[in-house]
Amino acid sequence: MPRVGLEVKAVSASKGATPGLGHPATGEVTKLVDVSVCIGCKACEVACKEWNDLPPSPDRPFTGSYQTLPDLEYNFWQLIKFNEVQRDGRLVWTLTKFQCMHCEDPGCLRACPAPGAIVQYANGIVDFVQENCIGCQFCVTGCPFDVPRISPTTGKVYKCTLCSDRVAAGLEPACVKACPTNAISFGTRPKMLAQAEQRVQQLRADGYTNAAVYNPEGVGGTHVVYVLPYGDAPDIYGLPQNPRVTFVNLWKGPLKWLGNTVLFGGILGAVLHYFRFGPREANGKGSGAAAGEKVQ
Amino acid sequence: MERREPEVVLRYTMAERVVHWVVAVSFLYLLLTGLALFSPPFYWLAGLLGGGPVIRYWHPVVGVVFFAALVVMLLLWARDMKLEPHDREWLRHLRDYAAGREEAVPESGRFNAGQKLLFYLQFLAGVLLLASGVVLWFPLSFGRLLREASFVVHDLAATAAMGALILHVYMGVFVIRGSWEAITRGTVSRRWAQAHHGLWYRQLRPASSRSPQRGLPEARA
Repeated sequence: MPRVGLEVKAVSASKGATPGLGHPATGEVTKLVDVSVCIGCKACEVACKEWNDLPPSPDRPFTGSYQTLPDLEYNFWQLIKFNEVQRDGRLVWTLTKFQCMHCEDPGCLRACPAPGAIVQYANGIVDFVQENCIGCQFCVTGCPFDVPRISPTTGKVYKCTLCSDRVAAGLEPACVKACPTNAISFGTRPKMLAQAEQRVQQLRADGYTNAAVYNPEGVGGTHVVYVLPYGDAPDIYGLPQNPRVTFVNLWKGPLKWLGNTVLFGGILGAVLHYFRFGPREANGKGSGAAAGEKVQ
Repeated sequence: MERREPEVVLRYTMAERVVHWVVAVSFLYLLLTGLALFSPPFYWLAGLLGGGPVIRYWHPVVGVVFFAALVVMLLLWARDMKLEPHDREWLRHLRDYAAGREEAVPESGRFNAGQKLLFYLQFLAGVLLLASGVVLWFPLSFGRLLREASFVVHDLAATAAMGALILHVYMGVFVIRGSWEAITRGTVSRRWAQAHHGLWYRQLRPASSRSPQRGLPEARA
């Protein structure tokens, strides 16, 4: 599967499958979201739906929030979360563009039982391949960010692709292109991480002493990173403090080992027991008499 | 077939046999599809059974059928599965039983202590599999911690049930000759009943002399 721009790094439910040979000259890509300059205009939401041809969502009752929808949906891959929180005695209104984080160690891909349903490209993008998806939603639990969503009509799971089709063609993701304040940047990973670090320094100089880059280590880093003014409390932005894929590791490690031992050990034990002790006959003809008893 | 004095006694009624096989077939399906979903090296089983999306659809549905049949089974056998003081004695001779020295093992009732414990293990596994399975079925209706725990519980319970199944099938099909006949046609020879379930056989005698052919195939015909 040689695909320029979408060289494959990892495939779900496939051991060591790396069909792609080359690595992109650009290396890994990263999307940087600087929440401190987001104005909540939702141009990115619109651009995402437009580029990806996502059908409109049904109208919801108004809940008093600026947020478009309560949560991500199978046809709504990125959402600006509007949160009002108290911090140091004053109101903080956080606007956080939320979507798939494109983890370096993706829990969804590790949990997926269907070969080829989730791929990780060498450029870091994690993509769902719906034609191979079986709709089990293991990825929903495998994802520490609660991102994948199943479509009730197709029974397949969908999420942000980081516009892998655009990236393969050398374009930036649709949301990046649409952003009027440059709150979203896209580029090679070293460049984006350096830009994030620089912005954090600026914010600190401006008095946001806890400003930090959100690039959680528990999932090996993410290919969507944030600049957070209150970097010590990612939860006020609706981001988990320390996302991990512990349970998938437990499942794919010790539990699998235990299952194999019981299955193959059990069968082997039974075969050996049969060789050693054999069957027990107690069913001869005229059995009642043979058992030394005359019955009816 | 020549009619003679019956040498066989009824061990499992028609209802018991049907329920057993509903449990057995559904469990086998759940095991094979579950293995496909559990571990990629077994994913070929999915292709064998209709493909990934098909087994993903049916696995939970069959799971509900399995559990319902398991509950009926418990109701049918609750009395016979009750653990008695003599079961403790039987378990002390587990080594003799495993080595085929059944004459050294205390007599058992309709089910021996091993069968009873295996049944309870399977039933407990069934309860855990259902509870955790519902969470895996509708993941977005439950919290993250519950979902993650359900994966672990589902895997552990399935592993236990699989181990128990291997033992059960091995004993029933390969070791205790006559068991297959018992769970399909319903009958065992008197000698079989005496050798493997002596207490049950002796309780049975008055009943069977009252109506020796109750439930026999030829009697039904």
